[in-house]
Amino acid sequence: MLPFSGYTGEFAAEVKRAEITLQGDIYVLSADIVYRLSDKAKEALQSGVPLFWDIQVRLLQHRDVLWNKMLVDTAIRYRIQYHALLNMYRVRNEVDGEVYNFSTLPAALDLMSTISDFPLIEETELASENQYLGALRVSFDREALPLPLRPVAYIDPQWYLSSDWTLWPLKK
Amino acid sequence: MATEKIKFPFNLSVLILFGLILLSLQLMSSATQESSELSAMYSWLLLVNALGSVVLLILVGANIYTLIQHTKRREAGSRLTTRMVSLFVVLALAPAVIVFYFSMQFLHQGIDSWFNVEIDRAMEDALELSQASLDQRMRWHLKQTQQLTEKLEDSSESLVTLEIENLREQSGASEMTLFSRQGRIIASSSINPGDILPSLPDEHIWLQLRQNAEYVAVAPIHEEELMIRVIVTVKAQEPQYLQALYPVPVRIADLADSVEFAFVRYQEMNFLRDSLKMSFSLALSLVLFMSLLAAIWVAFISIRNIIAPVKELVKGTQAVASGHYDQQLPVIAQDDLGFLVKSFNDMTHRIAVARDETRQAGFEVENQRAYLETILANLTAGVISFDELYKIRTANQAAYRIFHIHVNQFIGRTLLELIESYSELAEPLKSIQRLLEQADDIWQQRIAFLGPNGRQELLCRGTPLFSQEGQRVGAVVVFDDVTDLIQAQKNAAWGEVARRLAHEIKNPLTPIQLSAERLQHKLSDKLEPADAGILQRSTRTIIQQVEAMKEMVDDFSEYAKPSKKQTVDIDLSSLVQEVLALYALKSGVKFKADYEAGFLIINGDPVSIRQVLHNLIKNALEAIDAHGLIEITLHKVQKNNTDFIEIALYDNGPGIKDEQIEKIFEPYVTTKAKGTGLGLAIVKKIIEEHGGAIWIDTNRKVGAGFIIQLPASNSKQL
Repeated sequence: MLPFSGYTGEFAAEVKRAEITLQGDIYVLSADIVYRLSDKAKEALQSGVPLFWDIQVRLLQHRDVLWNKMLVDTAIRYRIQYHALLNMYRVRNEVDGEVYNFSTLPAALDLMSTISDFPLIEETELASENQYLGALRVSFDREALPLPLRPVAYIDPQWYLSSDWTLWPLKK
Repeated sequence: MATEKIKFPFNLSVLILFGLILLSLQLMSSATQESSELSAMYSWLLLVNALGSVVLLILVGANIYTLIQHTKRREAGSRLTTRMVSLFVVLALAPAVIVFYFSMQFLHQGIDSWFNVEIDRAMEDALELSQASLDQRMRWHLKQTQQLTEKLEDSSESLVTLEIENLREQSGASEMTLFSRQGRIIASSSINPGDILPSLPDEHIWLQLRQNAEYVAVAPIHEEELMIRVIVTVKAQEPQYLQALYPVPVRIADLADSVEFAFVRYQEMNFLRDSLKMSFSLALSLVLFMSLLAAIWVAFISIRNIIAPVKELVKGTQAVASGHYDQQLPVIAQDDLGFLVKSFNDMTHRIAVARDETRQAGFEVENQRAYLETILANLTAGVISFDELYKIRTANQAAYRIFHIHVNQFIGRTLLELIESYSELAEPLKSIQRLLEQADDIWQQRIAFLGPNGRQELLCRGTPLFSQEGQRVGAVVVFDDVTDLIQAQKNAAWGEVARRLAHEIKNPLTPIQLSAERLQHKLSDKLEPADAGILQRSTRTIIQQVEAMKEMVDDFSEYAKPSKKQTVDIDLSSLVQEVLALYALKSGVKFKADYEAGFLIINGDPVSIRQVLHNLIKNALEAIDAHGLIEITLHKVQKNNTDFIEIALYDNGPGIKDEQIEKIFEPYVTTKAKGTGLGLAIVKKIIEEHGGAIWIDTNRKVGAGFIIQLPASNSKQL
């Protein structure tokens, strides 16, 4: 059901923790992600190239015979860009349009690292007898890079910034 | 020819392929424009083009491989194809590579020329200027805010609420807020009365504030606008913080934004310089590579189309060379090659027609030859042709039959060579050879020799053959076995003699005998006893001699009359036994008879055949002088597809002298002191009248041997 895992090298992002908990009558996602930017990526960022990450979130219903059924398939898209004039890093959540400014890169990445209480699905939509799986992946959008960088991004391991899929069973 | 349409070696599919390649490359080229909508598809286009290149590479590779295989097998047209393809590749590659090289040079230089130190510095300076401008404004607002705090010192919270409104308006700030040390909002004023909640500093700012007691920074609000956040400490009983937000004038913000945009753009371009070069180089290389591969592939197709008629021509020529004149080639193109193919087809057609005609003529000649050969073969006369070296070229069946030589041993040999194998034919062959060598014109000669079946007589006629230039090229000899003819003539002559003798001599003999007897009767009493004795002796002599003469004449008449009077089937074995039984009592003679099992039956006159046996046995008895061995064998032989019964009779007497062998069957030839000499002549006559043959077995070295062959009766029963 899930796309095959891509190549993950030393610069790949990593999902450190991910869990789905029930808050009230809604299941929410909390996760911790570590981004490891390569020198090339940092250099590009410093040169004003905006970088995009998609945090892909899925909720799957496990089925024995058929393939898993996808209940939730959503993503949080972040854009990070350096502003030379103010010497700050600006992170923008592309989904809700929120903009955050940070004077240091780790602070900016820190915002993107933490997902807390991201609502996924209502409790009523899940049946207690079924088994469910949570899936999380951080995907670096190479296609959003400037055109000349794109072919390189597919070849150079410095641009392999996406994480693998992390799967875990949902505890009800 | 001139009115016919010339077909181009490109077909529609190739043109479509070229169109697709061009489209794909154009799309990729367009995609490299940042603003283009195709930009998002750049990676896919690149991939598609790369895959297209790989497909083309495989196609070209397969074509090259096939061509190499064909060249190795030395297939028709392969070498010409190789040469044309090589020429095309060299011609196409050379300018393409030159253009590529210089394009790359220009590309790299062009990209490098966008960047230089001056612009670099100018960009940084512009940014620094913007930052300095903002910095100055920040410092000014900090100072201004610090001055304002003095008015708030020692003011009660209720007063502060009123005071802060005045201060905000006085300073031109868009928002002014007083926080407690713990971050509680004490008082707030905003240019926009709708803003209930003031802008709150985040933890980071608080941290900095606690360290430095003041904070000033430019921060973007919304997307475009900038504002200066100043936070200073208010000296009161309990320290408080005054936050003032000053808007940066729109003009300055725009300018700063513009400078920043340009700077970022320049920085980005600088950073992407190598990637850009690589990207363009990649696109250019891909374009060149794909175009070249497509061109080479199309070249393969076109050259194959062009070469196809040549290939066919080569195959056709090979076929004609190996004798297949029916080869007609398909006319693929209407160009000069097509004309050549048409001409080739015409040529092979004409050759085929000519070949057929020649073959037909050959058949006719062959038929004529076969016809002549059949006639020659069925001639009773023997015909032998010789070449200029007197070697036998052809000979008909009759020749083999007459000479009793097998076909295989005849052709290609000279007559003298034949003598080595057939010594009994030495005499006639030597004679013919001599005549062949000597004669310059038609010659005729009668040649007699002793063949395996007795004496044979040939009538030979020879004709030397000359070429048109008058050179001697051989000779033809025609010969007839005239043995039987001559024998028949001789027999007829003797028959006539016998009939005359019987008629002319026998008639006067009776009166002579009667006269002599009368003389004896009348005069014997009248004469003196001495004279009477003389008379009696004389008349007895006359009567005896007349008796002898009568016997002789009877023999002659016997010889003259036909022997085959009444023919019946005769079992030769029983007949021979009967005859032998009559002689069995003779003392001193031993008879040995050997009969082959089965029916030995002939159709003939039993009296005549019995006479033959009597004559031969009598002859033998006389030859061995009543002491010795007489041997008779009887068996069946096959000769010229006819069954013969062969009777061989041998004695161990003195034998027959060579000079007598030739004439022994002629009348009045005898080796004995008494007898008429007609015995063997009669035997021969009877045998020949029965369709048989008799001859002396010359191979027999002891005594004499006679061999008789009589045709066997067709009926198997008596």
